[in-house]
Amino acid sequence: MADRLLDQIDFSRYQRWFNRSLGYDCPIKVLGAAGEPVWGCSSDADAALGLRVAQASGAGNGAVQRLDIDAESTLLYRRLTVGASGVRGFAAVVAGKFARADAPLEIDRMADALDDMATGMVDEAASKADLDKITEELAECYEELHLVYSLDRHNRTGVGRDTETFRQMLQDTAAHLNVDVVAFIRPSDNQCVYATALSKEIHNLDLVLVEMRGDLFRFIQASRESVVMNEADDPRRTYIFTDMPYRVLACPIVIGRNVDALVVLLNHMHKPPFSNSDRHLGEVLANQLSAMVSQVLAVSSTQKFTAQLAMAMVEAVEAKDPYTRGHSERVHHLSMEIGRALKLPEDEMQDLHWGSLLHDVGKIGIPDAILCKPARLTKDEYTFIMVHPERSYEILRHIDQLKNAVPGARHHQEMWDGKGYPHGLKGERIPLHARIMAVADTYDSITSSRAYRAGRPHEVAMAEIARVAGTQLDPSMVEVFARLCATDPEPEWLVRFNIRRERKSPG
Amino acid sequence: MNPIRILVADDEVHMRRVVTMFLERAGYAVETASNGKEALDSILKNPPDALLTDINMPQMTGQELCQALQTQLPDRKFPIFVMTSMTEREARDWQPKIPNSSLLEKPVSMRVLVSDLGRRFAREPA
Repeated sequence: MADRLLDQIDFSRYQRWFNRSLGYDCPIKVLGAAGEPVWGCSSDADAALGLRVAQASGAGNGAVQRLDIDAESTLLYRRLTVGASGVRGFAAVVAGKFARADAPLEIDRMADALDDMATGMVDEAASKADLDKITEELAECYEELHLVYSLDRHNRTGVGRDTETFRQMLQDTAAHLNVDVVAFIRPSDNQCVYATALSKEIHNLDLVLVEMRGDLFRFIQASRESVVMNEADDPRRTYIFTDMPYRVLACPIVIGRNVDALVVLLNHMHKPPFSNSDRHLGEVLANQLSAMVSQVLAVSSTQKFTAQLAMAMVEAVEAKDPYTRGHSERVHHLSMEIGRALKLPEDEMQDLHWGSLLHDVGKIGIPDAILCKPARLTKDEYTFIMVHPERSYEILRHIDQLKNAVPGARHHQEMWDGKGYPHGLKGERIPLHARIMAVADTYDSITSSRAYRAGRPHEVAMAEIARVAGTQLDPSMVEVFARLCATDPEPEWLVRFNIRRERKSPG
Repeated sequence: MNPIRILVADDEVHMRRVVTMFLERAGYAVETASNGKEALDSILKNPPDALLTDINMPQMTGQELCQALQTQLPDRKFPIFVMTSMTEREARDWQPKIPNSSLLEKPVSMRVLVSDLGRRFAREPA
């Protein structure tokens, strides 16, 4: 450490060198900046001498100085100054015994030797100080790399599990920096993810973090710089927030040009103050999270775009045929219920989601005169209707993301016995999603109102579906759907979709 | 009380410097060795309170050092910290077979090391 710089020097080497250079033994003394003994001092007299030197040296420059001890002896000393950080101490030698006739010359010789020796000591201390500084900086690089590696590991393994990955990253940082709380705070969507390595309990941590969303966030949003508040009486506390007996380190997470969120580190007052190194590592974490947040935002905005585009297409179909309003949404909902009951994996549920929502998109291609005809269709007109699943396919195939969703939409009018359209597929040759949608589609066609008739009750639909199981519909899908509807209490969508019921005889 | 003695075996001088500086600041007495052979000699002469060793070193690697200790000092009491980078997968095979040893990820965080040691030697104020 800087103030122990002189301790690291082996002064006995300098003593030998000094003796050799004078040609006889002459003890040197090394004093600290305040005159305290460092090396070669033994008596109380030396301590008193040291004090005199420290006080006398105020005006002293870097050259060898003289201090008369008594009539017989003189102290020669030279300041030891390392770098810009000032006086580290003094090298001194007593020139007492040499008050002989040739004394003046001898004293000059001693002064020269002392000067040379002190220069050597200063050079050595300076290179030790440099080495210490380099070592500290290297250790700081290790810290940073250690943190970056661990964050990077989470980043690579944690794709898709955003909140949990975040929490893990914060947890690692809390452990690494040994801080009580590490929190990620994003006021725009009320997000607050945190991890703790508590040295002592914190009451109402949630409330503490809620307060950070306000003034602390606004302050950093304006300053765009990290804030360190170590002291309880830091004047900024009064307007940033009050009554928080913690040491605070808060770093901005900048996305684009805006402060999007904060990383906040809290320590109890009994812990050491946040250092520059803590601040640096806090900023490293903030930068890593910034990259991650922008990635998550980009993904979610793409997902949002896809969803909005899909809803726009559904709107387009419904605009064309007002009587089928809500049909896509209901078929989608019922298909998803069946999918969940079948415990389809997540990616298949995604495909079923889009496929069922967009299954009727092809109706855009059917002339209004046929689609909205308030009467029975002729055979030719019906042929037009039969084209629509293939149309759905032609429209949706352009969207890569819907590649696996398209077969469900394309084949939702196939029948279990092979008499459906467009391809006359039979049994399990029909894609699973299409068989699911067929049940949902059939149910909704019966229960919803059309241009030429009112919707029929739930019970009628269930009976009809049971009747065509094995001919039009996949019997196992019908069974799953029947089980879904037979729950107690009844599924909530019966009411939500406003489905008519047969009046039960009061029991 | 005598300070806790830590032996650091690493062939890279910068690593030895960093570890020495921070452990000494934390109140430990640090001895260094620049390869496994030096470390083994030092341990057999006067076992430390903990050994911190790199893996890739000339003359005798960290793995050879640990295995030599297993045979030559079967009732060893002091813990061994094996410093390794996460990419050195091979270290994962043999290290768990060395009792009372743990991995320390390189680049070593001195904060983590000092607090680990602090917990382990809780009796001694650092």
